[in-house]
Formats: sequence, C-alpha cells, structure tokens
Amino acid sequence: MSFTIPIGPYHPALEEPCKVQVICEGEIVQDVSLSVKYNFRGVEWLAERRNYHQAIALVERVCGICSNVHALTFCNALEGLAGLTVPERAQYIRTIMVELERLTSHALWAGIAAEVMGFQTLFMTCFAMREQLMDLLETISGNRIHYGMNCIGGVTRDLANPEAVRITVRRVRQTVTDQLIPLFTEDKTIHARCSGIGQMTKEQAVAWGAVGPTARASGLTEDIRQTSPYAAYNQLEFKVPVETSGDVFARVVVRLLEMVESCHIVEQALDQIPPGPIHHGPIFVEIPRGEAVARAEAPRGELFYYVSSDGTDIPCRVKIRTPSFVNLPTVRLMMLQANLADVPLINASIDPCYSCTSR
Amino acid sequence: MDLEEIREHLGSMEVWVNKAKAWWLETPNLDVEKMARLMVDIGSRLVTVTASRVPEGEFRIIYHWDLQGQLLNFVTLTHQATLPSIMSISPVADWIEREIHDYFAVDFAGRKLPTLVLSEKDPPGIFSWNFLWKGKEGGHA
Repeated sequence: MSFTIPIGPYHPALEEPCKVQVICEGEIVQDVSLSVKYNFRGVEWLAERRNYHQAIALVERVCGICSNVHALTFCNALEGLAGLTVPERAQYIRTIMVELERLTSHALWAGIAAEVMGFQTLFMTCFAMREQLMDLLETISGNRIHYGMNCIGGVTRDLANPEAVRITVRRVRQTVTDQLIPLFTEDKTIHARCSGIGQMTKEQAVAWGAVGPTARASGLTEDIRQTSPYAAYNQLEFKVPVETSGDVFARVVVRLLEMVESCHIVEQALDQIPPGPIHHGPIFVEIPRGEAVARAEAPRGELFYYVSSDGTDIPCRVKIRTPSFVNLPTVRLMMLQANLADVPLINASIDPCYSCTSR
Repeated sequence: MDLEEIREHLGSMEVWVNKAKAWWLETPNLDVEKMARLMVDIGSRLVTVTASRVPEGEFRIIYHWDLQGQLLNFVTLTHQATLPSIMSISPVADWIEREIHDYFAVDFAGRKLPTLVLSEKDPPGIFSWNFLWKGKEGGHA
C-alpha cells in the first residue's frame, strides 16, 4: 500500500519554503514531486522597471547567501554590453569577495548538513567559522550580507586591510583541514548517513543539466571559473575537486575540498593584487542598445544572466538562471528508492536555495 | 563539430555573430527539436531559455547552450505564441518551459505545462498582466 506524504511547504532541514510530496511504499520512496512557488517575487519583472544602478541593488537581493555573485554577474553582462574594461585591481577584489562568499555559503551548508545528521557540535564548529568570515566581510564592505561591492566598471570599495583577510582565511583553512575534513570524512555516523545515499549518476547529471558541486560530485568536471574565466580567475591557479560516487557523501567531500581551494585562491589573489584604480571611470555608464550574457560560478554552481538594452537607462529584459533552478529537479532522481528518513538530507545535500529558484 | 557545421546542419541561412564573448545565431524559423537533438548529440548542455515580448503578440526565444565552455545562443520566434517542447530531448527544459509559460503564456507543444512559480488558480502570463504595468513594453534589442 502506498502513502502520500506532504513535506513542507516549510523545509524540514533548511527552514525555507518548499513542498516535497513523497509517495512511499512502506518507507521506500516511489515518487516525488517538488513545488517551489512560495518565494516568487518577480525580480526579473522588477529589474525591467528600474534603472541599471537600482537593478544592481535589486538582483543582489535575489539571494541572501550568494548575493555578491548575482551583482557581479549582472555587472559582467552590462560591462560586456558596454565594452568596458574593468581595472585589474577591481577584478582581484571581485575574485576575493566571490571566494569569501563561497566560503561562507559552504560553511553554512556544512553546518546545516551536520545539524540534519544530528551532529550538533560539528554544526557549532561550522557556524563559529562562518561567523569569522561574516565579520571579515563586514570589515571589508560594511555589511554581513548584501555587500554592495559591485558597480558597472569595477567595485565600490577598495580592500583597506588585506592582512585581516589573510589572517581570517588562514584560520578558516586550518579549521577546514584540521577539523571539518577529518570529522566529515572519518566519522562512522556521517559515513552511515551519507555514503550510498541520494545517488545521481554522471549520465543523469548531464541529462538534467546539473551544475556546480552537485554535478561535480557525480563526475562532471565543469567549473565556469576554469571553462569560461571571469574576474581574475585566469591569473590564478586552483584545482576543481571532482568525485565520482554521486552520493550525499561525494557532495560533502566536494564542498569541503572547494573550501580549501577557495582559501588558496584568496591567498594567491592577495599576493598578486596590483595597485591601481578600482573603477573604470564615470559612475554612471551609458549602456548601449544590444544584448549580452554573462556566467559565473556561484557557490551552488553556474549562475547565468541575460540582459538586453534599448539604449535607455532601464533594461529591456533581464533573465536570471540560478544554479538551484537546474539542480532542484535532480532531487527527484536522488530520492527514488531512498528511505523516507533520508529525504531531508538528500534534499539538503544539493544545497538548494529556494529564494534563488523562485526569484 | 564546429559552429559552421552546426549552422549547416540546422539549415540556417544566417551567420554566427560574436557578441560579448558569446555566439549568436538568429533563425526565425528554427526547427528547435532538430537543434536540441543536435546539441544533445554533440555533448552540449542546455543552460536556459530566455523569452521576451516582440510586437504582434509573438515572443523572441533564445536557447542558450554550453558547448565545451563556449556559450551558443540560438534565437528564434514563436508562431502564435507557441513552439515545440524540447523536454523529451533535454529533460532540463522541463522547469524552464514551465517558467516561461508562467511568465509569458508561451505554449510549448507536446507536453503538459503545470505552473511552476504561480499558483494553480493563476492564469499564465504574469509578466503580461495589464494591471501590473502599463508603461514600458519590454522588447528585444
């Protein structure tokens, strides 16, 4: 006999609005349907009714966790449209901000994953580390989230205290390598909860267009920072962690290794950052008639922006495709034949953002 | 397969244009199913689809594909606000087509289109609802 179990629209693990309807035979999941309509704000529609500078602040509010990369990608599209060259120092500052944001995002996810597994001390370790990163971001930008660092043609603030960044990143790397990686990879309880659960094959990941750590945990190697570099990534060396087992454990490992790489990227950027201007020139830039696309590797994967302009100061069309939008449908594949008790963890394992998905 | 071979395979008389580090091919009568089959066969990934309004009640639809790090953009037009669905060829199109239907009421023939971001009772085409905005009409560049 099958049972239909509605979970949500309040996510049991992530405290975000999503409804997962699970059909079970006993405790085994036979089918799943997802509903993500609870956070729709019409951001694209709103962006088409504001000038470019207002729209930067607006798109930064698509997401509370990866806000910076939204503004960066939008600005990249506009800079491509206007043919602007962003000064090198600004490119490095953008890279540092994006990687610090990735660290906070992955730390948040690791903490929540630990909490879902009932590992409260690990949750506290992750969040204590994240707190240091958020303090650092506040020191740089004045805000813990929604940093307001990007503008068309560069960044709004210089990096006043690079040594503070270096010290915090060193501490974060130490926490990740000395505590998080050993705990997440060697603890028997975590292995039991994560290994072999919520699997997605490489073929499924390709067919369903999965991106980011979710795809790289299933053996795909694509990372926009390497395949289509932006900011200062083409001047920095880093590895793209890839796992092949495609389960929850692989997603944990990929994100943990990515955190180490992010620390490495920030340290390199601090070593290499050149002096010079942080903005290309005038604050108000004329955006000519035309259209452009831009992509970036957000913490959850590829973020895509399309912008078209008719030459006025208001965009004609702004299209945003967030990584969670393509990763979330793959959750159904991961949950089929899973145990009902694993549903919240499988869902959390792709690090879904419903605010990004619904926009 | 290079860009010219893709263009020839699709029978497009237009030429590829490079704009802001991406390639664009405008084909008003593009066979989108043929295009999707070809792109999937050569290992390309559907990034997303963008719709925007054009005069006469039609829509400009852009299929954005990633081919080994290159972004290829196939531009076409709807006919009576309808295009064939490519969901059966590229499953990632499922939510993408449903969202476009919610926003613009564009129909994708050959599939059901349950709402994605709207509630079941809402009529599709929320970006076109008159009471929302009577000013600037979004159009393509």
